[in-house]
Amino acid sequence: MKVPWRALLPLGLALLLFPLALACGDDDSDEPFRIGVMESATGPGETYGTVAIQAKELAVEEINAAGGINGRMIELVVEDSKCSAQDAITAYNKLTDVDGVKIILGTSCSGAMLGAAPLAEKDGVVMFSGLATNPDIAQAGDYIFRTSLNDAQLGVDTGNLLWEDGVRKLATISESTDYAEGVRRTTAEQFEELGGEIVGEERYASDATDFRTSLTKLFSENPDALHIAAQAEFAGGTIVKQARELGYEGPIYSEIVVVGATALEIAGDAATGLKAVITDIDPANEKGQEVLASFREKYDYVTLPWYLASAYDTVYITAACLEETNDDQDADGFRDCLYAITWSGGIGDNYSFDERGEVVGLANVVVEVLPVSERNEDNNGYKVLGPAPIK
Amino acid sequence: MSVIPQALRERPRADIERVATVFVLGWAVAFMLWQGTGFTVTLMTVFAIWAILAVSLNLVVGFTGLLSVGHIGFFGIGAYTMAILASDASYDQLRTEAIPTPGWPFFAALPIAVALTALVAIGVGIVFNRFRDDIFVLVSFGFAIIAFSFFLNLREITRGAFGIHEIPRPAFGGWVLDGEVEFLVFALVCLGLVVLLCWLIVTSSFGRVLTAIREDEEAIAVFGYQVTHFKLAVWVLSAMMAGLAGALFASWTSFIDPNSFILLESMLLIAIVILGGLATIWGSLLGAMAFVLLEEGMRFLPFLPAEFVGQARQVVLGVLLVLLMLFRPQGLVGRYRL
Repeated sequence: MKVPWRALLPLGLALLLFPLALACGDDDSDEPFRIGVMESATGPGETYGTVAIQAKELAVEEINAAGGINGRMIELVVEDSKCSAQDAITAYNKLTDVDGVKIILGTSCSGAMLGAAPLAEKDGVVMFSGLATNPDIAQAGDYIFRTSLNDAQLGVDTGNLLWEDGVRKLATISESTDYAEGVRRTTAEQFEELGGEIVGEERYASDATDFRTSLTKLFSENPDALHIAAQAEFAGGTIVKQARELGYEGPIYSEIVVVGATALEIAGDAATGLKAVITDIDPANEKGQEVLASFREKYDYVTLPWYLASAYDTVYITAACLEETNDDQDADGFRDCLYAITWSGGIGDNYSFDERGEVVGLANVVVEVLPVSERNEDNNGYKVLGPAPIK
Repeated sequence: MSVIPQALRERPRADIERVATVFVLGWAVAFMLWQGTGFTVTLMTVFAIWAILAVSLNLVVGFTGLLSVGHIGFFGIGAYTMAILASDASYDQLRTEAIPTPGWPFFAALPIAVALTALVAIGVGIVFNRFRDDIFVLVSFGFAIIAFSFFLNLREITRGAFGIHEIPRPAFGGWVLDGEVEFLVFALVCLGLVVLLCWLIVTSSFGRVLTAIREDEEAIAVFGYQVTHFKLAVWVLSAMMAGLAGALFASWTSFIDPNSFILLESMLLIAIVILGGLATIWGSLLGAMAFVLLEEGMRFLPFLPAEFVGQARQVVLGVLLVLLMLFRPQGLVGRYRL
């Protein structure tokens, strides 16, 4: 086949110039507030990233429908950070250099956050995440904030719960990711500080599907309980299922991933009675329930409810601070507003940010998975037992 | 035997190459004019790093005919060596993995990063020299997996999944290249040196032996050439260049974790080399430029819902690469098919 390359050249140039024409729009004097969003629309954190983007768009729609902020609308400029440091840097530079934003909501992946944070700190750009949980982010700088609780707290709470439930010998299995490894590590540390003994540790790669060998090895040590730290729901649910298939009847402890909808569907009845320390929306929190209902109405599904509401809250907090500064280019004013603000929203009441940009005033809760016959959309498959124990 | 003169037979191919070159360079200039210098500097830095990787991989894949998918492993070794030696982060107050951070200057860590990559490449290359063709692809695949496993599981050295941050930028005395433009200039100088070295290699008698190895390994061995020595030498040189790219990458991003060195990145690298053309240095530069423009240019697709833009970019990129392979399997300016 002979390809008419010469004929294709003008066509190619026309395609290249097409975005130029699009860029030359009308200059509107009543400009909206432009806020950047960096989430993992693709890559390993795609589930979290997509939910976060949708939750933020929902919040912006609501704010704009109610008249905006000081009469101005909010416009989100969304970029994919792909859960990677390099892509986070290019996404960050696109947002700041091309779109000129000074406030970025995101990211959902800690690796991406840690990649872009030094640039944000140097440029004086605020990065405000609803989902990143790596403890290292606490040291990322003065312009870095998050509404999500860090993994270290989750591990400490889980260690306390294990000890309080009478567990003295623990076996752990964890996925080799920063999140899961962080949870395992802090859980084990806290448990050992209280006097417990780790009798077995196993790790698995993110693409693993068969955990029987690791589990058999762990159960040979006769642990009082099994702790699972997973990043992906598929693996988390499969581990629970395979543990029961191997005849293990002891208690299983975990965190948010293993009580996700997909994990519980895979595990089935094997997950009944499993306890998890998670961030969860208080059933009595009307705002939280409203957020979930609105999300379900718009997108016809709900997953990762706490993280969804956390991303949603970041937009409303942003709106509150923009109302005060009335300038989307005033990152310093926005940062000072975040330090000063106390907020009640979808993820809890009266929470604020400490001097490291870490959220304070929120706590994890302990949940127990219900039998399959009692699981439904309203209870997400588990019941809340109460706040996580403090030692 | 064809009666058409050689010059006439080659003319259409030369035309296509010129069109491809003008197209990619025109695209780059249009993009720069459109988006201004700030974002362009970022993209050019990404281009410089990927171009070093592509040019160095082309030495092995294009010029010597060894299809290696393990290049990302050497990239990672360079990056991790730089990160471990140069990072001055303190992890003491965090409840995560703490590793010693010597905080060496960039230029003290750089030779170690390149030398360590070379050492690993020698060890791996001696083993890999026993394999050819499909088996070589499989063992290089294995190397990429093993390297990733080391980065992820050697937690006492690499911090595993937590990654290493606060990796410093290069500094000449008191002058730190912490500006994006300064770093870009430095990266382009490194790219220039790599291109120069590759050009010297491929235009030398050594390079002609490499090409002969690609065409017929047994035949060149008959003439008394120690084929394994040549293959090992080019393998190590290529790995050292990848190590340099890794060190640059770690310094530029200031944070690395194992996710930057997954097998998929190796596949993208192979795609860049094929996109540009096998056995051509200019093709690798053009391929890297075209790839960066394709991937990052699609951030500006204006008509998609926000949550689908990322997926759409990947689909469009994949389709464009498939179309290119269908209609131009030798790449933009290449002379050989894979």
